[in-house]
Amino acid sequence: MTVPFFPPDQFGADAEVLVDLVRQVGLDPEQRFILGRRTRELEDLLRAELGVADVVACGSGTSGLILILRGLGIGPGDNVVVPAFGCAPLAASVLAVGASPVFADVDPWTMVADPVAVESAITVHTRAIMPAHIFSVMADMPAFRALADRRGVRLIEDSAVGQGAVLAGRPAGTHGDAGVFSFVQVKSFGGPGEGGVVLTADADLGAVVRMLRNHGQDGVHRFTHHRIGYNSRFDELLAAFQLHRYPTLPDRLARRAEIAEYYTERFAPLAERGIVAPPAGRDGRCYYVYTLLADERDRLRDHLADNGISSHAYYPLALPDQPAFRPFAGVGQSWPNARSASARALSIPVYPQLRDADVTRIADTICAFTPTNREKPCPVA
Amino acid sequence: MPFFSQADTFTQLWPAIEHHVRDVVNRGKFSHGPKVAELETALAAYTGARHVIGVNSGTDALVILLRAAGLRSGDEVVVPAFSFVASASSVVLAGGRPVFADIEPDSYALAPDSVVAAITPRTRFVLPAHLFCQLADLDALAEIAQRHRLVLLEDSAEAIGLRWRGRHAGLLGAGGVLSFFPTKTLGAIGDAGAVLTDDDRIAAVADALRHHGRPGRTLNNFPAINTATEYPGLNSKMDDLQAAVLLAKLGRLDQDIRRRNHLADAYTERLAGCPGVLRLPTMVHSASSRVSYVYLIEVAERDRLAGWLAERGIGTETYYPTPLHRQPCFAGLGYPAGACPVAEAACAHALALPLYPDLTIDQVECVCAAIREYYAGGRS
Repeated sequence: MTVPFFPPDQFGADAEVLVDLVRQVGLDPEQRFILGRRTRELEDLLRAELGVADVVACGSGTSGLILILRGLGIGPGDNVVVPAFGCAPLAASVLAVGASPVFADVDPWTMVADPVAVESAITVHTRAIMPAHIFSVMADMPAFRALADRRGVRLIEDSAVGQGAVLAGRPAGTHGDAGVFSFVQVKSFGGPGEGGVVLTADADLGAVVRMLRNHGQDGVHRFTHHRIGYNSRFDELLAAFQLHRYPTLPDRLARRAEIAEYYTERFAPLAERGIVAPPAGRDGRCYYVYTLLADERDRLRDHLADNGISSHAYYPLALPDQPAFRPFAGVGQSWPNARSASARALSIPVYPQLRDADVTRIADTICAFTPTNREKPCPVA
Repeated sequence: MPFFSQADTFTQLWPAIEHHVRDVVNRGKFSHGPKVAELETALAAYTGARHVIGVNSGTDALVILLRAAGLRSGDEVVVPAFSFVASASSVVLAGGRPVFADIEPDSYALAPDSVVAAITPRTRFVLPAHLFCQLADLDALAEIAQRHRLVLLEDSAEAIGLRWRGRHAGLLGAGGVLSFFPTKTLGAIGDAGAVLTDDDRIAAVADALRHHGRPGRTLNNFPAINTATEYPGLNSKMDDLQAAVLLAKLGRLDQDIRRRNHLADAYTERLAGCPGVLRLPTMVHSASSRVSYVYLIEVAERDRLAGWLAERGIGTETYYPTPLHRQPCFAGLGYPAGACPVAEAACAHALALPLYPDLTIDQVECVCAAIREYYAGGRS
């Protein structure tokens, strides 16, 4: 039997609720399908739960980053320091507002931005730093907070994959001046469509983002456009379903964490065989996908596929090596850890629908991998 | 009577909608998935476009179209002073500079003479918007574009079903867009849009830009995340659940259009000659087909009439209260009042009345009676 990388049965019993919500929203007496009362309710819920000044629902995590950058007044001539390893929106969002991304290398083990590298990338043109949580690990937000304060730049937390994670007692998404969550289906609070939220500690920034997400209108004077805005809004259908699913999110997060802990325990002895698991513990861990570093990544991927287990090698190129972003790769700079991660990272399934038997089989299969020229037998749980 | 409702339509179409929704749920891909691909194919058949690229909104479609058509930073794009803001804000978001031209009084679309006057050595595109019930003068605009070596793109966000000598809106120049905002002739229950083009190169770039700049086949193809990032892209993917609703509604689009035109005729019969009504919708371009997306009239004392109708439970919209060249967001471009007089006059008088397939002739009569009553002295 094959274990897919993402669950084919995304919402389980909630699928019937979804079909019913399509009908309810379609027939709603208000006939308002975008940025209506359900969206407001979801924003209010997340704001209260996370204790931030404002939560603004928008079209996607990517567009949330763009709204934050614009809301902070970042534009042409400005630089934003981003990790050299990660998803394209880290750099594309900066370019979308006319600013330039500056790439900083990542930690060789956790693959998140390295505070020392970020600091050394800060120049007089730097307006913000934008660390991202990646795969299974949150960026070192306390260090970035201190760095941003010390150097007088804004801190944007790309928490698109981090909803539900906690570092040093503070939830992901609430460490910076502003952060984002993404609700695209594969994420920890994935929903049935594209959407995201901006979270911010700054109520004024929240008000500007609110205006920018809907064509620069203030929500009072329709068709008066104060700023060049975007269409980055939130559908009522998605809000309705997310509100329905929110109470059960902790259970799903706990299941992800449980699977991840089991993996980490099983994989601890594999380090000497060229397979390195993320750090143990739950503080600062996130549960989007579970990602290993494997010296023989492609062989391990093939080995898993041969055993019916889907895995995925995200980001085969470091961001400054991508054709779109090469013009912004500084002369003489290098990103050895980002490039190493591009060659070695392999993600395996960690979704809550996995049965214990699936999880055990995935772990057993990885432990049974025989690296080239290494004969040592694999430990068994 | 609300300005807009599709609840009856939705009820009638529920069996088809449910079929498509269950299909999405069973396949488990909720954006950029197989239902979006199915919609793209169906829209290509309906419009005759070689390429239909589903995105998150009509606004995003314009930004993506402009970039895919080769807009470079600082390029000037001639746009109408009378339209929804996206007709001009999309140019800024794509890195260009909008230059406003005035409109024709009856089509509410770009006036060719005004376009010619707006052209400078930096002008590279002309972007007419088709509003309300007919297309812009595409013969004249295409001729101007050719003569001045400009690329003609169309803001055809409102124009599904509209054809110029049989050719669908959005396909008269290098490309166009569709919006599926809920009130549109083909409306979703959330945001959605599309790029239309016959140009393979524009289509390939637009396809990549909507999905983080990743070229090649990314629709319903998860491993495409491994594709190199060729362009600084956007995330503008369409939801499959919206595609499901749209596919169900597309099946009776032509019937809905006939119904809209019938309701519009009913308004016109009842409002012709009514005191206070300054202008009724008039087809002025014989090459354009007619799709009554919005029933827009010009009236005296517009805001007071709208308030009076609202007190009687009749919803209206003001498309548009402020011309684009006078919007605060374009103040930096420095256009004075009077720069586009036809657009400014339209903004002072235009009022859109309820028009959607769910509406009945009795409701039309009710709206018209209320308007007649207002101008017969009911206002005082």
